Amino acid sequence: MGSRASSLLREEDIEEIKKETGFSHSQITRLYSRFHSLDKGENGALSREDFQRIPELAINPLGDRIINAFFPEGEDQVNFRGFMRTLAHFRPVEDNEKNKDPDAGEPLNSRNNKLLFAFRLYDLDRDDKISRDELLQVLRMMVGVNISDEQLGSIADRTIQEADANGDMCISFSEFIKALEKVDVEQKMSIRFLH
Amino acid sequence: MPALSQVFGGPRRSPGMRWSLLAAVLILSVIASSTAASAIHTKQGNGTTPHTDPKTNGTITHTKKAFPVLSVNYDYVRMPFEISLWILLASLMKLGFHLVPRLSGVVPESCLLIVVGLLVGGLIKLMGEHPPVLDSKLFFLCLLPPIILDAGYFLPIRPFTENVGTILMFAVVGTLWNAFFMGLMLYGVCQAEGGQLGEVPLLSCLIFGSIVSAVDPVAVLAVFEEIHINELLHILVFGESLLNDAVTVVLYHLFEEFANEGVVTVADAFLGVICFLVVSLGGILVGAIYGVLGAFTSRFTSHTRVIEPLFVFLYSYMAYLSAEVFHLSGIMALIACGVVMRPYVEANISHKSYTTIKYFLKMWSSVSETLIFIFLGVSTVAGQHVWNWTFIITTIFLCLISRVLGVVGLTSVINRFRIVKLTSKDQFIVAYGGLRGAIAFSLVYLLPEDHFPMKNMFLTAIITVVFFTVFVQGMTIRPLVELLAVKKKKETKHSINEEIHIQFLDHLLTGIEDVCGHYGHHHWKDKLSRFNKAYVKKWLIGGERSMEPQLISFYHKMELKQALMMLESGGPTPNVSMQNIQPRRTVQERLIPRLSRGREEEIRNILRANLQHTRQRLRSYSRHTLFDDPLEEEEEDLSEAQMRKKRVEMHRRMSHYLTVPAKPPTSPPIRRVRFESENQVFGSTPGSTASSRFQVSVVPSIQLTRAPIAHMEQMSQDSVSLVDESSSSQQQDKQQQQQQQGGQQDSETGGVSTSTGSSLGAELSASEREQDHLRLPRCFSDPGPNKIDEEEEEEEGDRFGS
Repeated sequence: MGSRASSLLREEDIEEIKKETGFSHSQITRLYSRFHSLDKGENGALSREDFQRIPELAINPLGDRIINAFFPEGEDQVNFRGFMRTLAHFRPVEDNEKNKDPDAGEPLNSRNNKLLFAFRLYDLDRDDKISRDELLQVLRMMVGVNISDEQLGSIADRTIQEADANGDMCISFSEFIKALEKVDVEQKMSIRFLH
Repeated sequence: MPALSQVFGGPRRSPGMRWSLLAAVLILSVIASSTAASAIHTKQGNGTTPHTDPKTNGTITHTKKAFPVLSVNYDYVRMPFEISLWILLASLMKLGFHLVPRLSGVVPESCLLIVVGLLVGGLIKLMGEHPPVLDSKLFFLCLLPPIILDAGYFLPIRPFTENVGTILMFAVVGTLWNAFFMGLMLYGVCQAEGGQLGEVPLLSCLIFGSIVSAVDPVAVLAVFEEIHINELLHILVFGESLLNDAVTVVLYHLFEEFANEGVVTVADAFLGVICFLVVSLGGILVGAIYGVLGAFTSRFTSHTRVIEPLFVFLYSYMAYLSAEVFHLSGIMALIACGVVMRPYVEANISHKSYTTIKYFLKMWSSVSETLIFIFLGVSTVAGQHVWNWTFIITTIFLCLISRVLGVVGLTSVINRFRIVKLTSKDQFIVAYGGLRGAIAFSLVYLLPEDHFPMKNMFLTAIITVVFFTVFVQGMTIRPLVELLAVKKKKETKHSINEEIHIQFLDHLLTGIEDVCGHYGHHHWKDKLSRFNKAYVKKWLIGGERSMEPQLISFYHKMELKQALMMLESGGPTPNVSMQNIQPRRTVQERLIPRLSRGREEEIRNILRANLQHTRQRLRSYSRHTLFDDPLEEEEEDLSEAQMRKKRVEMHRRMSHYLTVPAKPPTSPPIRRVRFESENQVFGSTPGSTASSRFQVSVVPSIQLTRAPIAHMEQMSQDSVSLVDESSSSQQQDKQQQQQQQGGQQDSETGGVSTSTGSSLGAELSASEREQDHLRLPRCFSDPGPNKIDEEEEEEEGDRFGS
């Protein structure tokens, strides 16, 4: 099984993924076997049901949104490249990476891109703003059913009030960044496994 | 303290004045303590003690002496007197240092305290007395626990758990390395030196090495708190100093046992490792058990809020003592107890108890710390010292070298596993911040003299090391931090944004970990919190709070804090989206109608008559009752308050005139009283502000004044009956209201003046009653007898009337 899995992944693919995401060779193969184990249909791509089969994800309040984040706009299947691209956001930041390739643009796991990923999870309609409703939805998911709408509404109002700098009653991406400036995002949004 | 600084800290005062004040404080306290010390020794057999034996008594009665008008009996109070005097000295010193701000900016407090201790010790010695030495038992049982409890209870959990691997590495491996390196090198040096030093056996060196290598939490706290370094470094050094206690305890006992036996085998070494595991895990287990017990107890304390803080302190102290019984690590037990207990206790106890706990812990730990340093200074003067240049200089050198080597070596290993690496700047600070302190001193002091003939030399060496680290390293660490531009602690006001987003990120990361199939940090944390929510919280948190998600309780706390701030500053802050709590000031705004003097007199008489009845029906005063202010109830009723938030505004404007209770007169618990009375005010009235409608709605509603306070009922009823002479009904419910309305309409024509008079009177009486409501809880603060004599009432009445 192991050899078969790795034979499906060609060297050129690995090189491309390496360049795009910054993962090392061993990590890519390791994640490929994980990808393969999730892929029950064995068609080289994961569907939403494949993700939903992961038991812990079902009880995660943000489970659906996380699953959606893997799939690009409007599509129902994600291939290994897309899988890796999403996971690349959670790679720990390395100091020496800054010097490697200034022309390649910002790496996927930079602080900015990590925050953008998180922002997109809030902002479902992709209008680059977290509206009060979107915030309420997320709060509702995280908090459960016991809390009244009114209370949640006041929390949401308070949150927006705190973060909103330009008074449009929505949180834009820059305001989001500012609200989290004291949080050590590089550490919070990194998984050691992917190092 | 602020008053004092106002008095003494004005810019007009010259620095010379301040120095002289400090000197005066110092001298006074020194004199006081030296008199105490001298008094100890001169008054031992003196005075008429209560336990005079009958013999002397018998002899005294033979000759007729003058009745002793004034006699001195110092022995009776000797012990507590001395203790209080020392604590007073310590506190005065602390006070004194802050009078001279420039000094405390340059020299850390711990240094100053040691200097003071030296001075005091010197003075005592000059007087020919024997200065007290820091008694180890006193130190370990009384002085150390408050500091550790304070540290453990307020330990920032998140950074601690995120770095726990690093901390454990430093604490366990680092301390072991330090101990063995120092012990072996010292032995080598001693052998090489020969002479007197050559007699020092290997085990003595090892035990000395293990004692001196432990980073001391007290010293670290004292110094690091003043330099405001970033959270990561702080928790690294501090966490290490806490956790290395287990290692120190094990090594100490191990080597002590070996010193007794004289022969070490491999099996013993193996047992040592087992012992270490037992000591540390056992300590944590003991602490956790007591923590759970404490949390469980706090679930039931809702009716006796006064003693809530006591449970926290007692359970923690018991955890420490129980661990010490079995030679487990008391420090780890104490920390485990605090950490386990805290989230549940804080969900259960009142805001006041929380403040009490916080301030008591800070107070005790502050006093302890001060005392420890002063005693260190005194003990230095008191002890018999054996100065040996080689040994001591070598010790200091080796301390520094082994620390640096240990930190650098370990960091290179740890950095392979860390996401955020430790830079060399960080490493330097961690190495430099390894201060030794009083624990090491006490441990050396505990060494039995017979097995360790070099004890005095060890004592001298350890004192030198402690002095060196505290003075040199303590004083220079601040400029070094500035020089190296180490990241400082960010002034965080934890905002709700951060809280929400951090939780969001936690969930996100857990999900991603699950996708990767990796059971990492987040996965286990998530599992733990799920377990917590499902099983533990139900048992340990009383009432509805157990179901409350963390976000909501965080939000409540924030609103509460903000409301308190608003109250204290006296004005609204722009950030409050919901006004749960109104500042008291707005209550003062009232629409006071103008009255003629005759009318006033009339009203005053009515009130006076009313109030007589009131007083007799008040609750009996009890020292143990905690009187509520709206804030405490606010946090209980916050969810209900949010239901009625729209009416709160109206409340405030008309609160004095309308006291319509909506519920039947149950006897609600005392706590609910005030809030409900305010809540119920406007159940029925819409927001009308026109005074005419005002009055009409006022009148019938006032007559209903059934105050929710069970006893106040009677009062209001009486006042109602007195005020509204036209009414004849004595019932309490709507019947009364309707009857009143009927009655009112009947008499409407019959004199607008009377109705307005009575309505005004009713308004005023209601307003007075409202004020009564407001004031009476405050009145309860002075102990008043149940029966009140005429005089007092007159005064009350006058006060009310005017």
